[in-house]
Amino acid sequence: MTITSVQAVLPGRFAINSTEKSTAKPPPKVYNAQEPPFKGYHAPQPDGYQRSRSKPDTSAIVIDNGSNLVKAGWSFDKNPRFILPPVMSRYRDRKLNKACQFIGYDAYVDATTRGQLRYAFDPGSSVVGNWDVMEGVLDYLFLKLGVDGANGGVDRPIVMTEPIANLNYPRKMMNEILFECYSAPSVAYGIDSLFSYRYNRGTDGLIISSSHTSTHVIPVLNNKALLSNCSRLNWGGMHASEYLLKLMRLKYPTFPARMTESQMEDLVHKHCYVSKDYDQELSKYLDWTGLEDRDLVVQYPFTEHVVPEKSEEELARIAERKKESGRRLQEQAAKMRLEKLMKKEQELEYYKDLQNGLQTETKKEARRILEAEDLKDEAHLERIIRDLERSIKRSRNRDLGVEESEEPAEEMSFPLLDVPDEELDEAGLKEKRHQRLMKSNVEARQRAKAEKEREKARREEEERLDREKRENDFEGWLSERRTNRQNILQRIKERDRLKADLGNRKSLASQMRMKTLANLAADGPKKRRRGGDDDDFGANDEDWGVYRTVAGEQSDEEEEEDLGGMLDVVEKELLEHDPEFTENHTLAAQSDWTKSLVHVFLRGPWPFDPESQREAHQLHLNVERIRVPEVVFKPSIAGVDQAGLVEIAADIVNQRFINPEDQSRLLRDVFMTGGNTLFQNFDERFRNEFRAFLPLDAELNVRRAKDPVLDAWKGAAQWASGADLAKSSITRQEYLEKGSEYLKEHDLGNVTTW
Amino acid sequence: MAPPTPAENESHQLLLNQLDIAQVPRPFRNPHWKPSQRRNKNVKQLISESSRKEASQMATQANSGATTPLVATTSASTDGSQTPADGGQRTNIAQAAQNLSTLVLEKNARAMYSSGPAVTYTNIESAPSLHPSQQTRYCDITGLPAPYTDPKTRLRYHDKEVFGVVRSLAQGVPESYLELRAAHVVLK
Repeated sequence: MTITSVQAVLPGRFAINSTEKSTAKPPPKVYNAQEPPFKGYHAPQPDGYQRSRSKPDTSAIVIDNGSNLVKAGWSFDKNPRFILPPVMSRYRDRKLNKACQFIGYDAYVDATTRGQLRYAFDPGSSVVGNWDVMEGVLDYLFLKLGVDGANGGVDRPIVMTEPIANLNYPRKMMNEILFECYSAPSVAYGIDSLFSYRYNRGTDGLIISSSHTSTHVIPVLNNKALLSNCSRLNWGGMHASEYLLKLMRLKYPTFPARMTESQMEDLVHKHCYVSKDYDQELSKYLDWTGLEDRDLVVQYPFTEHVVPEKSEEELARIAERKKESGRRLQEQAAKMRLEKLMKKEQELEYYKDLQNGLQTETKKEARRILEAEDLKDEAHLERIIRDLERSIKRSRNRDLGVEESEEPAEEMSFPLLDVPDEELDEAGLKEKRHQRLMKSNVEARQRAKAEKEREKARREEEERLDREKRENDFEGWLSERRTNRQNILQRIKERDRLKADLGNRKSLASQMRMKTLANLAADGPKKRRRGGDDDDFGANDEDWGVYRTVAGEQSDEEEEEDLGGMLDVVEKELLEHDPEFTENHTLAAQSDWTKSLVHVFLRGPWPFDPESQREAHQLHLNVERIRVPEVVFKPSIAGVDQAGLVEIAADIVNQRFINPEDQSRLLRDVFMTGGNTLFQNFDERFRNEFRAFLPLDAELNVRRAKDPVLDAWKGAAQWASGADLAKSSITRQEYLEKGSEYLKEHDLGNVTTW
Repeated sequence: MAPPTPAENESHQLLLNQLDIAQVPRPFRNPHWKPSQRRNKNVKQLISESSRKEASQMATQANSGATTPLVATTSASTDGSQTPADGGQRTNIAQAAQNLSTLVLEKNARAMYSSGPAVTYTNIESAPSLHPSQQTRYCDITGLPAPYTDPKTRLRYHDKEVFGVVRSLAQGVPESYLELRAAHVVLK
């Protein structure tokens, strides 16, 4: 089925008048892509260890073992002393023949170390997957915290965070490492978001914890987390930056620089935000108005191919040299001309002498002389002399700089044509033939001229009729023009489609072409068999017709070339007379880059110069700025088959807590923590959407942690300074007795599963 | 980029030496600590292992009455400070008439599921959504609302211009767009 409707439907985006678009947008604000996150050398801080000597049993080493950042310090510290990503780069330097080990930000120091990067956590999860890296990170932390190992171990209690419902195996491995490798006296485990909640003085409420690898919703009543009613959404900050990376790679498939995950993470942190009303904002995101604020340009390092700029002096010298060589050439040419002129003058003199001489000679003698000179007759000689004179005159004039006026063509007269042949001698006959030729020439020219005039008159007549029609029947004229324009547009479209189809092997056009070729090939051998071995293709002019057959419809290129011109003419007329047809409606205006949604999506509201290396190394963030953080609320965007954050929270509150008292206690304190909640508007959006799931009179309070990233560590440090530490720690004795999977339960920790 | 000068190289090497902790002595480590070579496991392995373990534990407890039944943990003894011991010495005549293994199973279930099923890494994962707002379709290329779907590539698109882009995508690219929303075809 072919679609024949050709109504020009102009979407709303095109309705903006072109004058607004023609005002150039201010140049974009450019953000540079982030460098590798190397943070310089961190000196060890042994003072904490010295301080802990006075109370070695209650000063604990607190480690928030996050999958994005590991934070570590002493329980008496206000802030963590060391914050580093759990990565390690370990390799053997071939040149120096020694092993190297770099931990945390240090592993980003140069290209070699970055190439050997290993992550402690299993990608996309909050579970430790690489224990060598984990050990390296712990080594680094203990070194930097100044643990001296005087009695062969880390002789301080250790407090660690772990994910909710941590698997048994990772806990077992961690226990083994801490007790057996580091000989820790005691270890306590707790859940990071619960520490954060406690630090922010929460007792009853709903914790929304969105972190690097996952998002949890945890109800807390009476200081006790109800873990059996908590829920996890497998989406976090890491997925967001990974998603952005994939989006960007698809958006700019030929991007010349390398986009890395850490750069994308940086972009997500700095430029993405949660939309207050996603669908509403999204549908207007690529609108022209205010686009320069929504579109962000990220510049990657590049080297522009600059044409080396020449200095003033150099330019002057080059110009001088050019002038010099030009002058020399001119001189040479003048000399040549002069020589030629002299030669011609000599020739002229010679021929003139010859002519004069001929007059005195007898006829026979004269002919002999002429023949010796390779001349036919006296007329020929005269012609030569005339030509020479003219050319000499012309070159003289040129030398003197006199403008030569075109000699008016003398009125041609052909007297000989009326004279009968019998009355003419041989020379006369020849002359007559010549005159006849000239005459037909002149006549043809006159005929062409008359034809042209007639054509002109015809066109004028047409125009007059057209004008008359326009004046008398404007509607009819208009509709005729419009259909004409639509027809041309349709033909252009069909031509483009045919062209596109030829690229596709399965399309009708290329199949027809293949058929023709196959038919021709089938014809070929038969002919050859008949005609013997020799290939006589091309002997007959009609043979070349096969190319026309093969090319088929697209051979009439001249006609196609014209389509654009015809369209121009029609559009010009419509522009002139049709009040509804404005500049915006022309094909040129509609295919202009400012009208292109895809251009705006890829390059923002600025023109794109494919030659410019600077622009080729730019990323434009626009829709992605709200699209990427939105996934937490709508996981289906990224193909995660789970309910969105608000739905999970509503489900927990409404379905799992029947007691209205409990429900209202949860709703009165909705608490947000974790790095992924740092997005602008995250709390507001959650509040607005969550409200829709709740009874009308329900009291809802949403608050954020004071520091969503570090509060977990601070809470753990605070907790470890209190009496809970001793009660909730697994001592070395207990570890040896009860095995490596043994866990003590407390309010802020996980529960035993089996 | 210009190659680094010898002086730069040297200072960089000094920085590397400063950062490198391979040679730093670590007296707090147990010199006899020899971890297993195959201790690194990914989440998939761990989850399948733990679910197998759960299943086998259920089976053994269902088959025999030999294991000690877990005590009901309604009393606040979940801090782990004491090992769960055998419960009170209750006698029940009806109990004697029952199959011992069913009895054990029932008791275990009561103990374990007193407050719903135990919390594991897998069962706290949230369920798929049934909410209509999750069904909204967005353009695979631009992210804008997408009223149309291309039947050939199965990509969703915003308008006819984007459709032009969709149809001009190179081979394999539509698949990677589909992969972004996990709608691609996976051959197993």
